[in-house]
Amino acid sequence: MLLAKTLASSTFRLALIGIAAFGLIASTIFLYVYFATASYVRGGSDRAIRSEYLLLSNAYERSGRDGTIELIRQRMADKTLADHIYVLADSSRAILAGNLRQWPSAVASSSGWTEFRATGSPEFTRPPLVRGLLLTFPGGDRLLVGRDIADLESFTASIWTAAISAVSLMFAIAAAASILVTHRTVGRIEQINATSRAIMLSGPDKRIPLRGSDDEWDRVAENLNLMLDRIETLMGEVKQVSDNVAHDLRTPLTRMRGRLEKAYHSRRSAELDQSLIGDTITDLDAVLRIFSSITRIAQIEAQARKGGFRNVNLVEIAGEVVELYDAAAEQNGTRLSLSGDREVLVTGDRDLLFDAIANLVDNAIKHGRPGGHVVVTSEYADRCPVISIADDGPGIPADQHEQVFKRFYRLEQSRYASGNGLGLSLVAAVARLHGARIEMLDNSPGLRCRLWFSVPGCQQVK
Amino acid sequence: MMGGHRRILVVEDDPETAGQLMEQLVTSGYRVDLATTGNEALSRGTTSDYAVITIDRMLPDIDGITVMRRLRDRGVGAPFLIISALGEVDDRVRGLRAGGDDYLVKPFSFVELLARLEALGRRSDTIAKETILRVGDLSIDLISRSASRHGKEITLLPREFQLLEYLARNEGRVVSRAMLLQHVWDLHFDPSTNIIDVYVGRVRRKVDEQQAYPLIHTVRGVGYCLRAPG
Repeated sequence: MLLAKTLASSTFRLALIGIAAFGLIASTIFLYVYFATASYVRGGSDRAIRSEYLLLSNAYERSGRDGTIELIRQRMADKTLADHIYVLADSSRAILAGNLRQWPSAVASSSGWTEFRATGSPEFTRPPLVRGLLLTFPGGDRLLVGRDIADLESFTASIWTAAISAVSLMFAIAAAASILVTHRTVGRIEQINATSRAIMLSGPDKRIPLRGSDDEWDRVAENLNLMLDRIETLMGEVKQVSDNVAHDLRTPLTRMRGRLEKAYHSRRSAELDQSLIGDTITDLDAVLRIFSSITRIAQIEAQARKGGFRNVNLVEIAGEVVELYDAAAEQNGTRLSLSGDREVLVTGDRDLLFDAIANLVDNAIKHGRPGGHVVVTSEYADRCPVISIADDGPGIPADQHEQVFKRFYRLEQSRYASGNGLGLSLVAAVARLHGARIEMLDNSPGLRCRLWFSVPGCQQVK
Repeated sequence: MMGGHRRILVVEDDPETAGQLMEQLVTSGYRVDLATTGNEALSRGTTSDYAVITIDRMLPDIDGITVMRRLRDRGVGAPFLIISALGEVDDRVRGLRAGGDDYLVKPFSFVELLARLEALGRRSDTIAKETILRVGDLSIDLISRSASRHGKEITLLPREFQLLEYLARNEGRVVSRAMLLQHVWDLHFDPSTNIIDVYVGRVRRKVDEQQAYPLIHTVRGVGYCLRAPG
């Protein structure tokens, strides 16, 4: 199964192409070496044969048959010429002198190069492979001068064998290596595929196993696992939110249904109808407002608005928010004031920042102490733009600081106050979009909520 | 109030919504034409003269904004009211503010639609050039940015003045909370609190307290209206 996948994989096919190209080049090189060596060896031997041949044929022309026989005997006695073959025969091919017992029957031509295996000469331990030059003199005598080239032949043959074995070995190792590498690659990919299939079947609770080799495959697996973690978290959040949405929508919807049902079964009266319709519209508006808050947060979280980012002055926005909430604070008996630097620049979306700061100010006024003091401070802290909203009310217990940013989260004590529990999750979404960090501190008494923006050159103090 | 020019083109592909709109607009005294596709809107928009064109952002054939651009290119001067179901964060619709047209997010209340149609229709009618606005005994000086009732100066913060000016420019017409947020504060979302009511309440105290008659009236479920009695 895995082997079949290995052989079918694109990596393996690529490896095959590589092996073929490499093998072709290597074979060409080895063939060249073989032929060059063989022709060098043969060329040397042929030159030696030719010089002996010239010596003997000259001697025949100069001193005739007897002189040649004498010279052949001298050459045969010479140890350095041990592998040479000399034969002088008459026209009836009877041997006159030389180291073969009989004229080789395989030789048909009368002059020029010849090659044959000399049999029937017992002075050789094995019948020599002879290469030599032939000459037939005008009187009918024949001369053969040659060498035993069996050693040369076996030398070139061994080069050939070496070349063939080297190429074959190379092919074998390359094939084995590419199967191994491909097998490993396909194996890791198969693991990822298997995990993906398992996730598609049962849900994102499976993870791709790591080998601990810290190689690129482990990194791919790690990243995919991180992605799966993120997806699982998001899915969990979506489920949480839809549960909450269902709960928060069900309340006004149930109220509406009950009211309509009661009206349906009772007698009509213009006055009752009027108030029934009015109340139903109010409840429907609440439902629609929750819907638009949810879609707004979702769109912010989808980072759809980064295109509208510009340089904005936090002080200006804070000023506008304070101005808008001035009347509400006054009504509540709360003193609302601004402090901090003149200009605090961040890159962002004015409307969203306004909305986030407005939500925090709104909360501070609502949940602060009646007759208390709410301060909005925009400043640079360690060169980081920071905006903080502080009240002197009862504050939030430290263990719930994280929770309040969850959608629909409402503290037990404010469960029945107005608001839909989405305000702070909008603040959190806006902060995330702007790369800002939210910090909640005890203002003793009260709550101080700070938004830390990051700009080049600022190190956020944790 | 708006002369004889009360003809509106409604571009809407959903038959039920279109039916409701037509019925209510006719009841309110408008003459209404309906186009159910972008192409129909293009042909009707170029052949007839309308006071306002309301157009749905999502149409079966051509995008509402494209229809609007093409009509503009063909020299149609009528103001457009874009109706979007994509929510407040629809950037392309937000971008229309520059063009001077208005937008509304689905679902909307009919009174809100009517208020916006009135405001748009008026704008194409007359662009007021006067420097002093008068409503009853209230007079608003646009040059010195000050207001007075019965000759007695009213102390207003700059934003409060803007609010009063906007109400006065729409004298006798209902102005919704969303319209106030949009035109006075340049904000394009619903803060989902009663913040506007509280703000208007303070302006109202400054303008109406200890006067012969009230000028700022609350229209239940919609918004406010500035008008003199009689």
